[in-house]
Amino acid sequence: MDPILVTLFASGGAAATAALGVLPVRGREDVPEAWIGWANALAAGMMLGTAFALGVAEGEAAVPAALGAVAGILFIAWTHAVTGTEDLELNQLDEKDPVYGYRIALVQTLHAGSEGIAIGAAMAVSLSFGLFTAATMAVHNIPEATVLAAVQKGRGTRLPGAALQAVATNVPQVFVAVSTYAVVAAAPGLLSWTLGLATGMLANLVLVELLPESYRQAGHTSIAVVTSAALAMVVLLNAWAL
Amino acid sequence: MNDIVLVALYGLITALATGLGALPFAFVKAVSRRTEALANALAAGLMLGASFGLLAEGSQYGAWQTVVGANAGLLFVLLAHRWIGHEDVSFGEVTGAGARKMLLIVLVMTVHSFSEGVAVGAAFGGGTELAFLITVAIAVHNIPEGLAISAVLRPEGESVLSCAGWSIFSSLPQPLMAVPAYLLVETVRPALPYGVGFAAGAMVFMVFLELLPEAFEDAPRWSIGLLTSSSMAAMLLFQRLL
Repeated sequence: MDPILVTLFASGGAAATAALGVLPVRGREDVPEAWIGWANALAAGMMLGTAFALGVAEGEAAVPAALGAVAGILFIAWTHAVTGTEDLELNQLDEKDPVYGYRIALVQTLHAGSEGIAIGAAMAVSLSFGLFTAATMAVHNIPEATVLAAVQKGRGTRLPGAALQAVATNVPQVFVAVSTYAVVAAAPGLLSWTLGLATGMLANLVLVELLPESYRQAGHTSIAVVTSAALAMVVLLNAWAL
Repeated sequence: MNDIVLVALYGLITALATGLGALPFAFVKAVSRRTEALANALAAGLMLGASFGLLAEGSQYGAWQTVVGANAGLLFVLLAHRWIGHEDVSFGEVTGAGARKMLLIVLVMTVHSFSEGVAVGAAFGGGTELAFLITVAIAVHNIPEGLAISAVLRPEGESVLSCAGWSIFSSLPQPLMAVPAYLLVETVRPALPYGVGFAAGAMVFMVFLELLPEAFEDAPRWSIGLLTSSSMAAMLLFQRLL
């Protein structure tokens, strides 16, 4: 199969998996706050694991990768700043303001775009690494969607609607993954830059969006355990996938 | 130079670096909580980058063994915390405290230094270049830790010299543990991925358990995202270049 199509299906599958994230919220009056924290920590550990895999990928040139990483870190900081979301509390379970909903959707969309760069760049390294990265992002999308579903539930959204929204906010992942792969495949000189770019973006997203609120929600120790364990799992699977 | 002497010397350097953390208190009585939070964020990034290097290296020897070692490192830090009987002790938050709290902070920092000593020793098993980097990383990250210790001790009336002394004391397990860790790694070659994994696991877990949650409490998350991910990228770059 053409690698572009593989990238399309893999990233599309990763986006679709997000729908599963609403299941833990199903039939619950209140979602325990600790669950939100653990879901965030799980997503954070897997995302950092992906940043690790991209950051130490075989054949990556050091300086372009580092410059790419700086660009990625700054890009995330810049998008948060220009959208006014740098201090946005992302896990408000009882916030009904429509503007809040738009801002959450915006943050999720930009977040998914960064994941798309990761998948596309990984696909350009090798098919197995690309599939591994897409699979990690797919599983990562599930706890992330659980958090989104809990927020949406508080806003009165029904479960199928929340599932649809979770998938919809992940659609940019597909477009960005396919175009990233297409560009890097056409210009292989950009590969190290792109891998670095994705590394920096993912690392900064983990620190700014996923971890800060989790500590308050579930406590330091359990968050540290869940994040480290998820990271270790990705490191192990990455070694096997290569 | 004899390798064992070199290992002990490197461990001693990281310990002495901790004393530098007391220096700012020669000029001021209290460092702002925000500065301390950012120092923690910087240390977190350097340690994450160093751990990534260790994990990548360990995975080449054996991914399973590395992850088993990492889990052991995680458990070690966790048990050390429990053993002290004060889980989630926020040494950065201790203010106006009596002698008991001062003792506690020194104790917590000393216990966690054991795993750092193992990191220095185990890093030598992976070659002196990596060891030098790990030594620099740990020495640099020791400085804000010395800062944290001094920030508690100094307002209680301790002299700057005494703050530096206690800071260095808290890191003395580093040279003490570095030598046996190095010997263990050297004599039992198959243990190398375990040792490297242990060091990485202990460092990663410390980042998530102590450094990041405290940083998030006292500094805006975008600043932590920028600082931690940039220092992580810088650490990855240095590892690649050397």
